[in-house]
Order: sequence, then structure tokens, then C-alpha cells
Amino acid sequence: MNDLAMHFKHLRRVFVWELPVRVYHWINALAIVVLCVTGFIIGNPPGIMFGGEAHESYWFGTVRFLHFASAYIFLFNFLFRLYWGFVGNKYANWKNFIPTNRRFFKEMWEVLKIDILQIKSGEHLSVGHNALAGFIYFLTFIAFAVQCITGFGLYAAMSHSLIARMFVWVSPFLGGDFALRRWHHAAMWFFILFAMVHVYLVFYHDYVEGRGEISSMGGGWKFIEEEVFEEQNSKTSA
Amino acid sequence: MAQITTIGRKTYYDDIIEKGYSRRDFMKFCAMMAAYLGLESSGVAQVAQALQTQHRVPVIWLHFQECTCCSESFIRSSHPIVADILLDKLSLDYTETLMAASGHQAEVAKAKTMKDYYGEYILCVEGTVPTDNNGVYCCIGGRTAEDILKEAAAGAKALIAWGSCACNGCVQAAYPNPTSATPIHKIITDKPIIRVPGCPPIGEVMAGVLVHIITFGTLPELDGAKRPKAFYSKRVHDTCQRRAFYDAGLFVETFDDENAKKGYCLYKVGCKGPMTYNACSVTRWNNGVSYPIQSGHGCIGCSEDNYWDAGPLYRRMQTFPGFGIESNADEIGIGAAVLTAGGLAAHAIATNIRKNKLIEDLITEGKESEKELKK
Amino acid sequence: MSRIVIDPITRIEGHLRIEADIQNGKVENAYSSGTMVRLLEEILKGRDPRDAWAFVGRVCGVCTSVHSLASCRAVEDALGITIPPNAEMVRNLMFCTQYMHDHVVHFYHLHAMDWVDVVDSLKADPKKTSEIAQSISSYPKSSPGYFSDLQKRVKKFVESGQLGIFANGYWGHAAYKLPSEINLIGLAHYLEALEWQKEIVKIHTIFGGKNPHPNFLVGGMACSIGIDDVSAINAERLAYVQQLLYQARDFINQVYIPDLLAIAPYYLDWGGIGGGLGNYLVYGDLPDNGYSDTASYRFPAGAILNKDLSKVYEVDLRSDSEVQEFISNSWYTYAGGDSVGLHPWKGETKLNYTGPKPPYEHLDVEQKYSFLKTPRWKGNAMEVGPLARVLVGYARGKEEFKAAVDSVLSVLKVPAAALFSTLGRTAARAIESQIIANWAIDFYDKLIQNIKNGDTRMADMEKFDPKKWPAKATGVGHTEAPRGALGHWIVIEDSKIANYQLVVPTTWNASPRDAKGQMSAYESALLQTPIANPEQPLEILRTIHSFDPCLACAVH
Ligand code: HEM
Ligand code: HEM
Ligand code: NFV
Ligand code: SF4
Ligand code: SF4
Ligand code: F3S
Ligand SMILES: [Mg+2]
Repeated sequence: MNDLAMHFKHLRRVFVWELPVRVYHWINALAIVVLCVTGFIIGNPPGIMFGGEAHESYWFGTVRFLHFASAYIFLFNFLFRLYWGFVGNKYANWKNFIPTNRRFFKEMWEVLKIDILQIKSGEHLSVGHNALAGFIYFLTFIAFAVQCITGFGLYAAMSHSLIARMFVWVSPFLGGDFALRRWHHAAMWFFILFAMVHVYLVFYHDYVEGRGEISSMGGGWKFIEEEVFEEQNSKTSA
Repeated sequence: MAQITTIGRKTYYDDIIEKGYSRRDFMKFCAMMAAYLGLESSGVAQVAQALQTQHRVPVIWLHFQECTCCSESFIRSSHPIVADILLDKLSLDYTETLMAASGHQAEVAKAKTMKDYYGEYILCVEGTVPTDNNGVYCCIGGRTAEDILKEAAAGAKALIAWGSCACNGCVQAAYPNPTSATPIHKIITDKPIIRVPGCPPIGEVMAGVLVHIITFGTLPELDGAKRPKAFYSKRVHDTCQRRAFYDAGLFVETFDDENAKKGYCLYKVGCKGPMTYNACSVTRWNNGVSYPIQSGHGCIGCSEDNYWDAGPLYRRMQTFPGFGIESNADEIGIGAAVLTAGGLAAHAIATNIRKNKLIEDLITEGKESEKELKK
Repeated sequence: MSRIVIDPITRIEGHLRIEADIQNGKVENAYSSGTMVRLLEEILKGRDPRDAWAFVGRVCGVCTSVHSLASCRAVEDALGITIPPNAEMVRNLMFCTQYMHDHVVHFYHLHAMDWVDVVDSLKADPKKTSEIAQSISSYPKSSPGYFSDLQKRVKKFVESGQLGIFANGYWGHAAYKLPSEINLIGLAHYLEALEWQKEIVKIHTIFGGKNPHPNFLVGGMACSIGIDDVSAINAERLAYVQQLLYQARDFINQVYIPDLLAIAPYYLDWGGIGGGLGNYLVYGDLPDNGYSDTASYRFPAGAILNKDLSKVYEVDLRSDSEVQEFISNSWYTYAGGDSVGLHPWKGETKLNYTGPKPPYEHLDVEQKYSFLKTPRWKGNAMEVGPLARVLVGYARGKEEFKAAVDSVLSVLKVPAAALFSTLGRTAARAIESQIIANWAIDFYDKLIQNIKNGDTRMADMEKFDPKKWPAKATGVGHTEAPRGALGHWIVIEDSKIANYQLVVPTTWNASPRDAKGQMSAYESALLQTPIANPEQPLEILRTIHSFDPCLACAVH
């Protein structure tokens, strides 16, 4: 047996993403895709020539309905994830997202050097999110919140539902619906850019590290080298 | 709020009886008024009570940096008509546009009302106050607008900010706001202010606000932006006559095209109705004759803060300040997406070069395993 | 000699201050100053030229719509856009509506109290009033009961002690000459006109969606014609317009004109006061066959100098040396020095306030003293407005003007020279209102005929897209606003406004002196005005009001 075969022997299977996190992830991804597509159409409706009367068609209304329906799903899914950050496993814990100590920043810098700038050749070490990814998700969560607040702020003008009513303060706070819409619309681009980079990076990690990153959001498993596993273990116990 | 004024003079009731109307006529009028103000039937008694105990409320109406369209709009009111408001309902003691007296005689009239009715009068303001250069950009009788406003506000029961000028600065406060034109609520902070935005506000809305104050002796209920809820709680879009076309996705693509002749929705030619809170699509203009959208032009958002700087009129999406008039969020976004895609492609190529060894190891590892499996 | 100050001048639009030196009961010298500025010309820079009509529309809510019209024309001129005939007729109808509204409101609500003593009307005999009213007009509201009810209402109002807008007027002043009965008619029609004015503007509402500040559109109008559609201009809307036009014509013929003719005979001395410059300027308007066909204008263009009606000069708004603005006495500064005149395409608007620090008693009239610039035509100070239009139409031999002017002169039994006066200005406004009321019905008929012929186009959107514009373009849009000749000059660069200059009727009339010390129309018209009581300078108001000042326009 050569070195490589030995390496192969010592891969460990780790259960990283619990079922609720995976379900959350895919609902979230789907909701965001639907919201971006419908939102984009609301912002830039195509000119569909149609000879009939207004009552014979309702496609724009339907697009808006899909937007609002996904918006509710998106909101509650997001709230669930916040909750899970306190009760889920250590990879789901909120501490993965918010920089609380120097080690977090150090790791972010390491990841930046290795993955993004590619100054150092090599692999990074985390089992769950790496620090940089965690921090980006933190920003993402802020964007979720912004989008929910601006979205429901807009929705408050057209709905009497309890949830929408909770957001009536948003429009006067931002100085009116003009600003509100502008920010809501602009924030869509954050989601689009995030999705592009995110999906790319998931493939990138899978490709460069071969730990089954892509499938991890399916089954929950990642495959970690023995040394990395040991090292992480000692770090967390230290 | 307490009753606006009760000074020992004749009331509306006395007034109306003297005119030869009966008590029954009077109650009918009260019922109509109550319905107009959207009150339950129990409100009738309240109206009757109010009309039997009140006098003509003194009003001082100041003009600063403005175009006088608000005054013009006010005299367009059809219910009530302005002649009746002026003669029977309130006492418009100062307004440069209509008053007989000029020069210091005008100033004396104002001073008298401010003294005799201290704490009682309503102060209406049309226009903005320029604060740049010590206020020299609007002077009346040698005094600055700011000086005049502060003096008049001191004894006012409440203020009404008429129109977008007084409410949000309107056109003269648009970028670069060369005279520092300032809306009223930024200068007077210690008095109740009713904001009645619009460029101008609808005449009947203006009259309605005054009628409410006179009739009930209280300010109308206001929303979070201090606008009367009765007229500003819905968007133009919510009750727009073209709304069915919006939901059906039927849009005017350019002015006067086939779709325009069919009355399709003006969303794509820049209608700002979905972001604009005003009574246009319900009350309509000039006694209900039409409103901008009915007559084929999109809403320009004239009752919203900062609407002049919210981007070109004929674009649906507003621009971002600082990015020039031609770029909106989508253009910036598409640019960013292209850049990102380019960056990712570059990153992918760089990865294959810089991490060549790592990847090769993985491949070898895989191949080794494959071989081993065969054995 | 004593210096009197009237500030604010009320019953006008905006903030006007007059300082006058009185000697031996006459005005010896006068200074006119606009004391508010917003600087819209600077705010317009860098914006989309297609939006300009909305910004400049807000220059004034009294002469609402005229700046928007001039602006659309300026942009269309720059980009080479020709609007469809329907749009031209609709714009003409908007224009006529604006005139009828503005002139009637001016006469009754802004000017009448200079001539009509409201308090004295309480002494009138309602029966006699009714007789007079019926003898001058067929207007139905003229019974003795109508006048006595009104009188009772006013009496009660006066007795309440709360005089409202009528408080502190110059009531009882020796210069009021009308019999009580005519005063009462004046007051009655003050109220009737207040009701009427809200009706006529509905034409704006139908075509432009609202009034004040109806909507315009570069390339035409936004109100599409859809004869078979409920939400476009259809038969019902058109019938509404027609009815309003007839009502307006009736009001002008039955109320405005008879009142003018009933009041004027008591003030014929004012046919010799307040003439002023004697130079008149008109840009012309109301095209019947396209804006570029100036020969088709119902209001012909031209300039008259020194009251010489035998010669009418041509006016060229593009010429560098004809229309120019000076600032030697205005609170601005020019890069090339404050004594030069600039053609509006090269115009500059940079503030430079050098007046006294408020609160102040007097302006320093030896220095800059106003926010108005000083426009000149070939170096001449010019009067613009109804009188200028009527004189140019008359001098050009246009039948309608000749007939109307001659009939008024013969009713009042005064010579043509009486036109150059305060009274002439006020009469000219009524004369043109009557002419316009008829024209409006012509334009309506043409619109209908055109639609009948199968042309329903309302806008030409061919060149609406900035991608089709040249890198640089200049345009000038003119109109005849109710107060006179109005021009907007635009420079477009890279699809944006590089320069935008307005030269406005009241800027011509109310401006301060120019570099050579020449007075403009207001100042010159006030010279030698008799003042019975300097404490109550009613006479100054008469002449100033005869111009119908609009200061928001003048300074913008
Ligand atoms: C990823 C999340 C979301 C994206 C990308 C997104 C995107 C968009 C976009 C681009 C528009 C068009 C705005 C315009 O051009 O005027 C829009 C409209 C709107 N969005 Fe969202 N949105 C998201 C989430 C939400 C949420 C959570 C709500 C909450 C209810 C919401 C409510 C609305 C409403 C009410 C409108 C206006 C629709 C109308 O007036 O017809 N959105 N959205
Ligand atoms: C091919 C599609 C996708 C795959 C395979 C995938 C996979 C993953 C993986 C492996 C993680 C964990 C990453 C890490 O630990 O660094 C993750 C996290 C996440 N992904 Fe995706 N993703 C996909 C698409 C999306 C899309 C479209 C979105 C939404 C725009 C999205 C939003 C997120 C978020 C918000 C997290 C953080 C999850 C958490 O709360 O812990 N993903 N995804
Ligand atoms: N001067 C002036 Fe205007 C008019 N007429 C506009 O051009 O009043 Ni506001
Ligand atoms: S709000 Fe608009 S209409 Fe009213 S004074 Fe200001 S600019 Fe004129
Ligand atoms: S025309 Fe404007 S306000 Fe009316 S439905 Fe369309 S977008 Fe809404
Ligand atoms: S532009 Fe203004 S008038 Fe009404 S429809 Fe829009 S708020
Ligand atoms: Mg100018």
C-alpha cells in the first residue's frame, strides 16, 4: 500500500447537517429562486401583447401572488433557522456565524488566503462552515432580514393580515415607499450574486477537496481526513 | 385635542337659523356633514353639537417659497365651495393672495389676529423656508420667512403644512437645493402640524381638513407621517381605475400606443401610483372629474417625500443618487453579475493552475482506489 | 420727498416690494423688487429633458400649464419633434382655458378691490342694483332678491367683526368712485366668479388629469383618444369639454365684459395714468397649423416701439443680440462681468446677494436690489402682456382685434391713445378674454373634425428615446402666457440638460433698472401717478395690479 491508499483508508464520515438544516436549506434556496424570478418580473414586466379584456387574464396577479406566498414561506423558514441556531448541533450553532473571538478572524484570513486569493496552496480545515463562509452567511441573514422588513413594509399597504400590519412603520421610517421599493429591488441583486458565488464555491470545494460537499446538503454527511478530524477534535477540546 | 375656539360670538347654529333655515334643515345638514366625514350615525349629534357652539376660526395663511398652486387648488374646492368657507366657516385673516390690505396694513391685520386670538388661531403655511445665507432668499416686509414663521407659530393652536413644499420641500428642495429650502416641520418642532402633501393637494382634501377642524374642534387623525388618515392612507394604485390591467399584466408600452387607447396600466411608462399615498384615485380632481392616470399620464408621485429626486418620470425603477440619471438598480446589478461571473471564471482557471498539485493528488488517489478495487 | 414702501404687495402671486418716492402728491421715482428666489434653472441642470415640463410647471400655480407648454416646445424644438394636430388642438384648448381662468380671477379677485369699495356696497339699494344689472347684461342672477340676500349675508359678515380677507382694506378712500349699486354688483360677481373659476379648469382636468399643474408630454399629450373606450378621451369627455367652453364664453360675455364696461366710465382718468414705456413685445401663439408655422398664429408676434402702431418689428428668439438678460441691478453675478447682457442659451444663474441684512427698512436701490434679472429686446425695455398682444394684433390689422378694440373705445368714448394706460391694460385683458372664448370653440370644432376624419393620434413618440437624440441640441420654446411673452431656452448635451433658462413675462415687466439705468415697465408706469394719501397708496396698487404681477414666475 502506498501513501495515497493509506490516506484513503483514513477518511471519516461526519454527520454535519441535521435533517432540519437540510430541509431548511432547500426550502430557502427554492424560495429565494422563486422570489428573485417573480420579483424581477414585478420590477420589469415583459410586454405580453394580448387582445382580450382585463378580466380574461390575471398573469401579473399570479406572479405577485407567487411572490407573496413564497415571501411567507421564506420568512417562517428563516425564523425557524434562527431558532435552530440555538438548539441544533454544533455546526448549526449561531456561534459559527458571528465572530466572537480572535480565532474566528484568524481562520477567516486563512480561508481568504487559501481559497480566494490562492496565495497558499492547500486545504482548509473546518468540518462544518469555514469561518469565512459562516461570516458571509451572517451577512446573508442580515440581507434576509432587510428583505423581509422592506418586503413586508411594502406588503403592509396591500394587506390587512396581522403580520403585514406589524410592518406599517417601515415606510414612514424610510421616508416613503419610493425609498422602500428602491432598496427592496436593489437588495434582490445581493441574492442573485450570493447564489452565483455560493453555488460556485460549493462545487469548488467539492472539486478541490473531495469531501462530498455537494452531497452534504442531501444526506448530511461530509468525509473528513483522519488528521483533520484529530486536529479539530483537539482544537475544540482545548 | 381641546376645542379649537369658543369666543363670545355667534355660532353656526345662530347663523343658520338667522338665515331662515329650520332646526330640521340644520339637523339634515349635520347628517350630511357626518356622512361626508365618514362618521357613524351617532356622529351626527357630535357634528350638531360642534356647530352650535363654535365661531369662525381665525386662520393665518403664510406664503414663502412657493408657486401658489396650493392656494389655487384650495379655491377649486367644490364641497364646500370656498365662498362659503370664507364667509361662513372661518375667518381668513391673512393671506397675501386674496386679502384686500397691502403693505403695513396687511401686517397690522396679521398682528391683530395673533394678539387677539393668541393660542387659538390655525396657522397655514404654503411654501418652504430658505435657511441658507441667513434666510435672505425669501423676505417679506424686510423680514425673513424663518423669522415670520417662528413668530406666527408661537401663538398658533396648530399648523397646517399645505402641499409638498411645506411638507417635504418640493421642487426648490430638489438637488442641489441651492437655497436650502426647508419644510415646515424641520423648523417648528413644538406644535402639532398636519401635513397635507401633494403638488398641489386636491382642493376638496384641503377644504376637508379645514372642515374637520372647524366642525369637531380637533385635528383629524394622522398617520405615521402626520398626514390625515382620511386622505392619505391608501396608495393611488390601490383604487386606480387601471388596476385590473395591472393585475392582468396588460401595460402601455409607449404613450399613445394601441394599449394606451384601451386604457391599459401605465406602470411601464413610469407610473408611481404604487408608491404614492394620496386620494387621487378615490376623490379625484376638481370635483371628481378625472385624475392624472385617468387622463393618460402616470402618477409622478407628487405627494411623496423627495419625489423630484427619485429618478426620471418615465422610468419605472428609480435611480440611485450618485449613479447618474441613466443607471438604475437593474443596470448596476447586471453589471455586477457580469463582473462576478467573470471573477468566478478567472477563479476557476486560477484554481486549476495554482491547486494543480492538490487536484492531481486527488485524481491519483481516486485512480489508485479504482485500481485497488479491481483487485 | 418721502420714500414709501409697500411690502407685501398683496392680491398678486408671490413676493413683490415697491419702494416709491412721493413728491407733491405724485410718484417721483419707483423701485420694484422681487424678494424670493428658488433657482429652478440650477435645479434643472443634469436632468432628463423630458421631465423638464414637470419641474418648470411648478414655477407657478397661478399661470399653471404655460411653463409646461413652453418647456415641451423647447425640447421638441431641440429634438425636431412635430406633434400631431390633435395634440396641437388640445394644447390650444389648455391654453385658452388657462387664459379665461386667469383673466377672470385676476379681474375679480386680484384687481376688483382696487376699484370696488366692498364696504360701501352695503349702502346699495337692491332694487336699483337689480335694474342696473339687468340693463347691462342678460345674466340671470340679477333679481332684487338676489342682491338683497347677498347684502344681508355681507352685512352679517361685517357685523361679526371678523372681516377676514376684507379686513384693513382702503375702504372709503377718496379714489373710490363707483355708486354703491355698482359696488354691490362687483361684490356679487366676486363670489360668482369664485364659483365659476373652479368649473372652467375642468378642461385641464379632462386632458391633463388635474388643475393646478396638469400633465404635459414631450411629443404631444398623454390623453389618448379612444372613442370606444371608457378610460380614454371619448364622446362623453368631449361633450363635457364643449359644455364647459360654452359656459365659459357665456360668463365672459354676460358678466366679465359688462362689468368692465360698467366700472370703466367712472375711472376714465385712468386712461391717462400708468402708461409707462410705450414699447410692447409679443412672441405670438395659438398655432392653427403647427408651431413652426408662425403665420398661422392667432396671436401674431411683433414688437412696437414708442407707441408707434404704424410699425411692427419682427422678433427672432434665436438671435444672439435680440433677447438678452442683464443683472447689473440684480442679486446675481456673471462670469463675464455684471454689466454684460447674455442671450438665454448662454445664460447664467449664479446667486450673489448683496442687499441689506434682514430685518431691513429700505433696500439700497443704488446697488443691486432684486432677484429678478432684467431682460431687454435689442437693448430696449419692453412691456409684455394683454395690452402688448392686443396692440400688436391691432397694429397688424387683424380683424378680430380691430373690431373688439374699436367697440370698447366707442362704448367708453375715449380715443385710442387711452389704451396706453392702466385702464388700457385692464381693458385689453377683458378684450382678449372675449376673443379667446370664441377661438376656443373653433379649436374644439377642429379637434372633433380631425377625429371624424379618422386621425386619432395624440403623441409622436418616434424620438422619445434618448438613444435617438444628437449628442448636442439647442431649442427654444415660446408661448404667450396670460401675463405676456414667455420663452424657455434649452441646451441638451448627452441626453441631459446642460443649460435651461426661462425669461418670463413678469421678469420683463417687474425687473429692476438695466446697466444703462433704463427702467422696466412697472417702475416706468408708476412715474407721475397721483397719490392722494401716502399712508394708503391705493393708486400704486391700481397700476401694479393692472399688470397682474406674478413673482414666482418672474424669479423662478
Ligand atoms: C429574496 C427575497 C426577495 C426578493 C429577491 C424580492 C424581489 C423583489 C423585486 C425585485 C420586486 C420588484 C420591486 C420593484 O421593482 O418595484 C419585489 C416586489 C415586492 N416584494 Fe419582494 N422580494 C423578496 C422578498 C420579499 C418578501 C419577503 C416580501 C414580503 C411580503 C416581499 C414583498 C414584495 C412586495 C409587496 C412587492 C411589491 C409588489 C407589488 O407592488 O406588486 N418580497 N420584490
Ligand atoms: C446546487 C445547489 C446548492 C448546493 C449544493 C448547496 C450546498 C450548500 C452547502 C454544502 C452548504 C454548507 C456550506 C458550508 O458549510 O460552507 C450550504 C449552505 C447554505 N446555502 Fe446552499 N447550496 C445550494 C444552493 C443554494 C442556494 C440557491 C441558496 C440560496 C440562494 C443557498 C443558500 C445557502 C445558505 C443560506 C446556507 C447557509 C446554511 C446554514 O444556515 O447553515 N444554497 N449550501
Ligand atoms: N409672469 C408670469 Fe406667469 C404668467 N402668465 C408665466 O409665464 O404667472 Ni405665474
Ligand atoms: S406644493 Fe407644488 S403646487 Fe404647492 S406651492 Fe409647492 S410647488 Fe406649488
Ligand atoms: S396606472 Fe399606475 S396606479 Fe394605476 S394600476 Fe397601473 S401602476 Fe397602478
Ligand atoms: S402625481 Fe400627484 S396628483 Fe395624484 S395621481 Fe399622483 S399623487
Ligand atoms: Mg431666468
